[in-house]
Amino acid sequence: MGQRVHVFIAEPSPIIRNGVISVLKGISNIDIAEISDVTTLMAQISRYMPDILIVNPSYLGLFSLDMLRSKVGGAIKIIALQYTLLDEAITKQYDDVLSIYSSAEVVKEKLVGVISSSDKSTEKQGLSVREKEIVVCIVKGLTNKQIADQLCLSTHTVMTHRRNISNKLEIHSSSGLTIYAIVNKLVELDNIKSVISSDK
Amino acid sequence: MYKIVKYESQDRMGDLICDNYPMLLVLSRFGMSLGFGEQSIGEVCKSNNVDVKTFLAVVNLLIDDSEKIPKIIDAEISIPALIKYLCNSHKYFVEFRLPLIRQELVNALGDNTNDVNLVIIKYYDEYVYEVNRHITYEERKVFTYVESLIDTNVSNKYNIEIFSKRHDDVECKLSELKDIIIKYYPNSSSNELNSVLFDIFSCAKDLESHNRVENALFIPAIKELERLKKID
Repeated sequence: MGQRVHVFIAEPSPIIRNGVISVLKGISNIDIAEISDVTTLMAQISRYMPDILIVNPSYLGLFSLDMLRSKVGGAIKIIALQYTLLDEAITKQYDDVLSIYSSAEVVKEKLVGVISSSDKSTEKQGLSVREKEIVVCIVKGLTNKQIADQLCLSTHTVMTHRRNISNKLEIHSSSGLTIYAIVNKLVELDNIKSVISSDK
Repeated sequence: MYKIVKYESQDRMGDLICDNYPMLLVLSRFGMSLGFGEQSIGEVCKSNNVDVKTFLAVVNLLIDDSEKIPKIIDAEISIPALIKYLCNSHKYFVEFRLPLIRQELVNALGDNTNDVNLVIIKYYDEYVYEVNRHITYEERKVFTYVESLIDTNVSNKYNIEIFSKRHDDVECKLSELKDIIIKYYPNSSSNELNSVLFDIFSCAKDLESHNRVENALFIPAIKELERLKKID
């Protein structure tokens, strides 16, 4: 995955916090931020929407995990940072548990595991019929407004479709979509020749 | 797991290049040639009139790709040396690397009347056009600004922050082309097509490294220069 993963570490002890950070640094494609003051946790989470939060369960105190999850729309993965034995009823609420005695390799494996499971949740499927129609319009060079008029949709819906198309195909440019459309025979080159030679 | 070593001026140039072959590109962009025998990095830089601190800053930045931005910017790097490096790097992409990949792509795709092949080449040409635009802006606007900043004073019309904000990742669209070919190109894979895909992978990586030098060394160095000029 090309996307960078944002990891927050909420842990009051600077020694432990920096230790975790230095172990995580070897993993590619992640950005790490630290939270040392519990009172700012909620504000920071809702502001920066991290993908993963590594937190000391005793530090979490009065915040419930559900509350945290609801702040970021449920997509966040929360990992408990464990120093001592914890009641299973507590740990099972977390997506995973990291012990501070884990080796660097185990820590990395767990984190990569959590990252890849979050990838699966936004599973890539083929395009729907509607999305294919929109691809054809984009390739023909229509604007969002024109596409909306032609398909009787709101421009907002067209934009949502475009975002979903980009996410599914991992193609972000209209010239990339042109290749996709030609390969999959959604359009004939003859139909879009005028667009192809006029832009740029 | 491997340990990242920071190279210093007394280390041998041969060790640096043999252990990190992408540094060959850095060597030629600083205008240094091969055949340095057992000389140290410092000696090779000196005999080629290259600022050793700038050379080491680039090399150590590119070798360590774990961190995006180094915490400490060495205030002693030479901005003219860095600009020369960046210009040579631009020249390498525009005059050598990208045309070569186009040639390989045309050969690998074969039939130039096929619809799919036509749109792929078209995509590539658009991409090269964008890279050219990106580079022309940097050389005409940014480097000219920096050169005048070194000679005279802070201009209130332009500052490096403007560049920093609009500096986009030029390699993304190239990587996208490679992904599209891998996922959707209908013909069976051939040695020629694999070879051009390998080249696109490595070119995208080189472009990313080039951007890292700009973002992590060049822009912070110019910000520091702007700060110093304002104090004067």
